[in-house]
Amino acid sequence: MRAQAAVPLGRGRFTELSLLIWVATIAISGFIAVLATETSSFRPTAVVVPLVFLALMLSLHVFLVGIRFRGDQILLPIAAGLTAIGLVLVQRLASDLLLQQLSWSIIAAGAFAATIVVPRDLTALARFKWTWALLGVLLLIAPLLPVIGREINGARIWIKLGPGSIEPWEAVKILLVIFFAAYLEEYREVLSHAQRRIGPFPVPPVPYLVPIVAMWVIAMLVMVFEKDMGATVLFFGIFLAMLFLATGEAFYAIIGLGLLILGGIVAYQLFGHVQARVDTWLRPFDEDLRFGTGYQLVQGLYALANGGLIGVGLGNGMPDRIPIVWSDFVFDAFAEEAGLAGAIALLALYLVFLYRGMLIALRAPTMFLQLLAAGLSFIIALQTLVIVGGNLRLIPLTGITLPFVAYGGSSLVTNWMLVGILMRVSQVSDRMRGGGPS
Amino acid sequence: MTSPISANIRSLTLTLALAFLVTSIGAAYWTVLASDQLANDPFNPRLIAATNDRPRGAIVDRNGTPIATSEKADAGFTRSYKDRTLAQVVGYASTKYGLSGIEAAYAESLIGQDPADPVSIWKARYLGDRAPAGQVVLGIDLKIQKAAADALGGRKGAIVALDPRTGAILASVSVPAYDANQVVDQSKQDAAFDQLSHDPNHALLNRVAQGLYPPGSIFKVVTGAAALENGFDPTKKLRVDDPYQADKSWGDYFVRSASHAHGLFDMSDGFRLSENIYFAQVGLQIGAAKLTDYAKRFGVGSTPNLDLPAAKGQLSDSGSIDRPTLLADTSYGQGELLVSPLQMALIYATIANGGVMPTAHYATEVRDAQGHVVRSIAPGPVGQVISPATAKTLTTMLVGAVSGPGAFAFGAKIPGVDVAGKTGTAENRPGEAPHGWFVGFAPAANPTVVVAVIVENAADGGVTAAPLGGQVLRAALGK
Amino acid sequence: MEITFAVLLWAVRILFLVLVYLFLIRVFSSLQRSLATENAIAARPTGLAHLVVQRTVRGAFRVGDRLPLRAVNGLGRDAGNDIVINDEAASARHALVEFADGEWWVEDAGSTNGTVVNGEVVRSRERLQYGDELAIGRVALRLEQ
Repeated sequence: MRAQAAVPLGRGRFTELSLLIWVATIAISGFIAVLATETSSFRPTAVVVPLVFLALMLSLHVFLVGIRFRGDQILLPIAAGLTAIGLVLVQRLASDLLLQQLSWSIIAAGAFAATIVVPRDLTALARFKWTWALLGVLLLIAPLLPVIGREINGARIWIKLGPGSIEPWEAVKILLVIFFAAYLEEYREVLSHAQRRIGPFPVPPVPYLVPIVAMWVIAMLVMVFEKDMGATVLFFGIFLAMLFLATGEAFYAIIGLGLLILGGIVAYQLFGHVQARVDTWLRPFDEDLRFGTGYQLVQGLYALANGGLIGVGLGNGMPDRIPIVWSDFVFDAFAEEAGLAGAIALLALYLVFLYRGMLIALRAPTMFLQLLAAGLSFIIALQTLVIVGGNLRLIPLTGITLPFVAYGGSSLVTNWMLVGILMRVSQVSDRMRGGGPS
Repeated sequence: MTSPISANIRSLTLTLALAFLVTSIGAAYWTVLASDQLANDPFNPRLIAATNDRPRGAIVDRNGTPIATSEKADAGFTRSYKDRTLAQVVGYASTKYGLSGIEAAYAESLIGQDPADPVSIWKARYLGDRAPAGQVVLGIDLKIQKAAADALGGRKGAIVALDPRTGAILASVSVPAYDANQVVDQSKQDAAFDQLSHDPNHALLNRVAQGLYPPGSIFKVVTGAAALENGFDPTKKLRVDDPYQADKSWGDYFVRSASHAHGLFDMSDGFRLSENIYFAQVGLQIGAAKLTDYAKRFGVGSTPNLDLPAAKGQLSDSGSIDRPTLLADTSYGQGELLVSPLQMALIYATIANGGVMPTAHYATEVRDAQGHVVRSIAPGPVGQVISPATAKTLTTMLVGAVSGPGAFAFGAKIPGVDVAGKTGTAENRPGEAPHGWFVGFAPAANPTVVVAVIVENAADGGVTAAPLGGQVLRAALGK
Repeated sequence: MEITFAVLLWAVRILFLVLVYLFLIRVFSSLQRSLATENAIAARPTGLAHLVVQRTVRGAFRVGDRLPLRAVNGLGRDAGNDIVINDEAASARHALVEFADGEWWVEDAGSTNGTVVNGEVVRSRERLQYGDELAIGRVALRLEQ
């Protein structure tokens, strides 16, 4: 006798649909405001791009309904909302790149759809952990190779792909989380229970830590050679977070943080580009820095100061004074034009994303899936905190992008794939609990 | 469903949420709390936003002759500076290196958003409707400015002329100067700015308001004023024997007279012949407290109110006079005194103005594009520092210091006009030639102009400076 | 003319901000609602019974999980089952647990390795009582209220 397939309480994903309508209104009003300021008149062509984007999101929605996807309905709209704000900002800050960003959005949507369908069983991901590790290392090393590698703006993190370039480290961050999640689930017992303690401090069982530490050291070294401080910080953070999630030992995190600061001090002495970043962070207004390496940050801070509570209005600011504003300083540009209100709303969206991701992690049925979901959510949160922290001069500036919002193709694609995986995890939880709305 | 990992997930989420909170506070700090300070930072490009797409307001002299204008160039407008001698006063407006001088102090007025006209500010900020900028009118008279610049020539120093009745500055020369056009020229600005910031002669410094020097004998008017206001009889003669020492406790410290004098001097003699020993004794007689009091009233050791940055100066290193040798030295203008030429001009302006010290200002008016006055800059006087009687007495003695027999300041004489003034030869660092000062005003009965001159390291001290003062006074009086 | 344009433009800008906040609020409330529903489902007594996980393997349940039962439940490795057992040793369609005539019944659905209750292999349809341990592959489940 065949079992009855469990039926969700309602067919269709109405929450998701209604939230996407809100996203559409945001996109439309944003584009109208920006284009009206540029052309000093309201033109109907302003709604073209937002409607294209809406169509893209709706097609994803229809796709999910069609395959009777039963996972979370909130992550897709949040990602869509952030991407929409990103498109508005690209139109505002670098309109010649709009078409590119839109194309990347379409590719990202396709990649998202792919992760929803493939692999059929998420736990297969855990089985191939060493494959992912190897692939990750290869992708990291690729930019250093002569033919396909490219150095842009002092960082050698790109590889040429046809007419454009991509940053493979964005994909590596996901591979790293999958690898760590699988590895840590397997050896979790060993790592947290079978360890000795010296006084109040845990002594880690070194042989079991070696593979993941090795993996991490490779990542760090590569990043150091490729001169990407942001990715280094991110990988380090991911490592510490996964370790903490698996073992619960805050001590590891504290030691790790200490090592990071120590490493930072060493790096400061040794590497010019690190020194420049830290000096700029500490005293950007100094005479010798404010026109040189500090120029970008100083201009960003001026933009923030101009924003005030509700901003000077979309299209009304002066973000063009900030070099490479569309990928490095979108947050400051957005805060100038939408004010503190807009900035807080943006941060809140990321926080809700994090919240939802962690809830999915809590409800995941297996440890691997818990670690996976928590790790992926952590990536988004950490990335946001690091780049916004740099923009706000809370920490030294790094080159990573604000997820979904800043201009950047590889970043957009991998982050959408991340959303896909998270939604897959929520679907597994829902199935195991016998259905019901997500 | 709890598993051991769940607890960790919760703690991690909490930590991240806290981090987000800190970030939000950071955002609030920059957008709201520190906002004003950054918005008025002279390097903020928003203040010079008008430079490229619309012309910036002009800076003109009191007769409307342009000193700084916006000229049409290939890409927008560039700033053109017509008078090199006013470089430190007018400043520069560079999109890269920011603003300085009047360009900075009146930045908002120069983009058509003067604070006295809030409607224009609103329209610009919220409607994007930026009014065409008008102009900032300075009190400078280019005729007097040229005379002062020619007088000083290439010698390092400063000359300032102001109207004692209103405080408006008529001429302001600070040498060495520089060509501000280089700083705003896109192709030359980096080299120019680099050179200026490393200039050992500090061409960027406005020596008139920001240069601090020991005053020397010109400070004697402060000692004299303090004495007169405390009942000291200026006609009483004091014995002067070079060198002078109050008592043996001074060890081998002596006050020396410039002319190795021996004889009896009253205050007129003291001024006319610039007798250090006379004034040292006056200072010792009135005491440190009274001298300090009057120095403070005259603004020594405080920052004068000015629409450009000004230096503070000092009465002494510690702020007070704590030993008799310092009292003696300060009384004739040495010791640890440091003043700016502007401060000295204001002190003499007080004497010229019946004892009322005016407030100095470079700009006099802000006008809109149609020429209507948007704001009149006429700050009221600082206050009554000395009585009109004291001022009159001092004036008479200062006239004697220029035209009396053996007067040191004879170089400032102008035919047909009574000039009141004093020279000073200020010792500064051992081994260096002293600075030469002259400060004076004319016509003595109803003064309309005060001039302060300092020539750095002038071989003949005040004797070098006095004729320069005379030239400027002549130009100002139209003679 | 210019004034009306400026005012309208500002209205659109304010609208943008308002919409972002409304979206944020809607997202948050949807989240809260779904949480409440999830909690309700988890807490709600199904009126039927649960299978509580006693033993498990990597990749499958966690020990202590309470799996709610319907009237008819298919168990197996295939993703279409009501209770998905992620064990290699389990067949795609392994067993059936159903509530009929006031009793719980278990029946093997043609599995490779067999279904075991309280250590004995199930040959045909057998009664399952509360407290009985059902083993499918290497996963053991106990029937409880």
